[in-house]
Amino acid sequence: MTRRKIDSTLSPGFYYFSGNEAVAEGAIAAGCRYYAGYPITPSSETMERISIRFKDVDGVFIQMEDEIASICSVIGAVWAGAKAMTVTSGPGFSLMQEGIGYAALTETPLVIVDIQRAGPGTGQATRVASGDLMQAKWGSHGDYQTIALSPWSVQEMYDQTIDAFNLAEKYRVPVFLMGEEAIGHLRERMEVKPTVDIFDRAKKPGAPPFGTNQDDGIPPMPAFGEGERLLVTGSTHNEFGIRKTDDPEVHANLVTRINNKILKHRESIIKTEPYYLDDAEIIVVAYGFTARSSLFAVDRLRKEGKKVGLLRLKTIWPFADGIIHQIGRVAKKLFVPEMNRGQVRGEIMKYVACEVIPYNQTNGDIIHPHEIMKQVRSLL
Amino acid sequence: MGELKQIRFCGFGGQGVVLAGTILGYAAIKDGKWVSGSNSYGAQARGGSARSEVVISDDPIKFPHVIESDILVALSQSAYDVYIKNVAEKGALVIYDDLMVQPSHLRGVQQIGVPATNTAIHELESKQVANMVMLGASVAITRIVNRQALISSVIENVAERFRDVNVKALEVGYKLGEDHCCPE
Amino acid sequence: MGRDLEKYLRPEVKSTPFCPGCGHGILMNLILRAIDALELHMDEMLFVSGIGCAAWIPSPNFNADTLHTLHGRAVAFATGAKMFNPKLKTMVISGDGDLASIGGNHLIHAARRNIDLTVICANNMIYGMTGGQVASTSPVGAITSTTTEGNIYRPFDLCKLVLGAGAPYVARYSVTQPVSLIEAIKKSLTTEGFTFVEVLSTCPTQFGRRNRYDSPADMLTMLKESCISKQEAEQLTPEELQGKVITGEFSDGGA
Repeated sequence: MTRRKIDSTLSPGFYYFSGNEAVAEGAIAAGCRYYAGYPITPSSETMERISIRFKDVDGVFIQMEDEIASICSVIGAVWAGAKAMTVTSGPGFSLMQEGIGYAALTETPLVIVDIQRAGPGTGQATRVASGDLMQAKWGSHGDYQTIALSPWSVQEMYDQTIDAFNLAEKYRVPVFLMGEEAIGHLRERMEVKPTVDIFDRAKKPGAPPFGTNQDDGIPPMPAFGEGERLLVTGSTHNEFGIRKTDDPEVHANLVTRINNKILKHRESIIKTEPYYLDDAEIIVVAYGFTARSSLFAVDRLRKEGKKVGLLRLKTIWPFADGIIHQIGRVAKKLFVPEMNRGQVRGEIMKYVACEVIPYNQTNGDIIHPHEIMKQVRSLL
Repeated sequence: MGELKQIRFCGFGGQGVVLAGTILGYAAIKDGKWVSGSNSYGAQARGGSARSEVVISDDPIKFPHVIESDILVALSQSAYDVYIKNVAEKGALVIYDDLMVQPSHLRGVQQIGVPATNTAIHELESKQVANMVMLGASVAITRIVNRQALISSVIENVAERFRDVNVKALEVGYKLGEDHCCPE
Repeated sequence: MGRDLEKYLRPEVKSTPFCPGCGHGILMNLILRAIDALELHMDEMLFVSGIGCAAWIPSPNFNADTLHTLHGRAVAFATGAKMFNPKLKTMVISGDGDLASIGGNHLIHAARRNIDLTVICANNMIYGMTGGQVASTSPVGAITSTTTEGNIYRPFDLCKLVLGAGAPYVARYSVTQPVSLIEAIKKSLTTEGFTFVEVLSTCPTQFGRRNRYDSPADMLTMLKESCISKQEAEQLTPEELQGKVITGEFSDGGA
């Protein structure tokens, strides 16, 4: 795997982008040159910007007939050699799930951005939520692993889109950027740096594209048109792509490998940010927009002398089990504010023995810092 | 710690509240500030309530929404009535359109009326640019961003066919603001 | 299949998965004959298929890049590959259920966009792999495992459907018309834009045995008797046209 720096396609400097615009720019900076999508609130600004900006970088943009077609054409383009992306929101993410499972089994690197809105169903299309996290892990049938990131600012919508492409290429896996409406539509100062770190897809002509003897479990990734005469199938297959739909051993090995290649590397994939953890008696665990409300609240409470800390999850999947286990041993209580009914809290409870207090808000609005301060004070 | 200012524009949908906030944000970026901007509006394009929030700071911004406004710019009575309850306890400034808003009496809050809609209709012959008159006046009064940065932001963000009238409205508003502003 | 075509097959493939008497084997042969006649190089070709018996024509048999996709989505996958790398000569081979029922929306949109794909639809009028359920192409009255008293809905006329979406080359032939079919596949491969060949095929296992075509030969005979040319059709009264299938080119790509 080689890592190189490329010049940004946007002049370095400070911009006032919306989160959704930042995703488009991050994708372009990461080398994304194929985009297929379908309009959906609150994510469409990314697609609109891509449709204009791809003209500058010779990218291929297509507005497909639905989200199923979008994810499928993205997979087709990736096997034709592209770095590719689609952006959607809840209902579209639901439609994409079969394709996501296909991408997981065929080890197709791609990026899906989900600008989460209030569900279930059509729900509140213009309002914020964070209710698709479990879907990002369990949305398609069968056992597989994905990587899901949780940005909290416009800058991170840009930076983590680049990270998402690099992770997808490195691990040959679908990567989700789990945005939220409140970040997608937020405008902020965002810096474009002169160069960007990029992972290039690993190539090894003649090597089996669906198996490896290497410990990392990640095979090289050829493309159509390179003379490899590839066989790509969403059915169980051996290392050369030959269908083995009746062979228990091939299936077990394949499923184990595509899970382990992510889980084995979880320490380098998972990113968290600690704030005031050293002597904290109550630790807030938060992600996405709610982590910003939480940091504001924790800062205020610290100024009042309260022993409160914050652990911010930048990666949702694979789950930060190690550090969660650690803080669960030192804190008296964990407090988990979420714009859902406790999706991450349930995950945290698998790894800690201390009390894990939920605060769940599903009214289509962000969780305000004052609410977090009020709740945490009541726990002190 | 440097300064952090929370500005809220409010009115009804169609008054250009969101554009005013966005342009202010762009201008603050040009001034080298940290900026967070967010909007809220009803599902429909016209009518309903509209709100645009801009947080401008010398340092990175932790929470990106307005918690309490240091500067409230109101273009409609109903929006004024809602958001006047959420101005900062100390040193809040309210700038309102004197044709659209009848201000309530409040202690410790400085309130300035600007004839934005009136000027837009009679002087600029375009009711739609009242937002730019208001923005120009607000910037002149508060000096929250540089005047030239503001004008460049309008030029960069407004469609060419509306550019001249918007820039003119901004300049007229700026003058109104200077006239209203008590010299320190 | 002729020995001369073996060079187009993956060496490790020893047999096809098709039932005895399945028309898809004939189609597989004719596709390769068209490719052979045009002297196309397999390194430049991409075959995309969906799910179902017909999707197994190229995968894993053809010795070229093959993308065996989800049920119904072959055309959408192919669109992505072709749009990103236009040098790939891209052919979609799949069944009627895959392309026209679950994947019908992708089919008409790719035709509307005139994506440079060749789509071969093997139409056996039934869901073969899943056990003989009624298809959107089953004739009225057809006995299937989900229409035991006969299908009550009209079948799609796939050629009209794709033609209506603007495809520049549209043809229909039966596996009993091999010479015309090879020519049609050749033309579909040499015509720029979205080209569509509907191939009437036979499923003796699921369609034949339920509809009293007791041997594979009976099904082929039925196809031979019911398929008529456009010219023949013009001579027939509406009553005489009942039960007939009109074959030929419905749009000739402007040639």
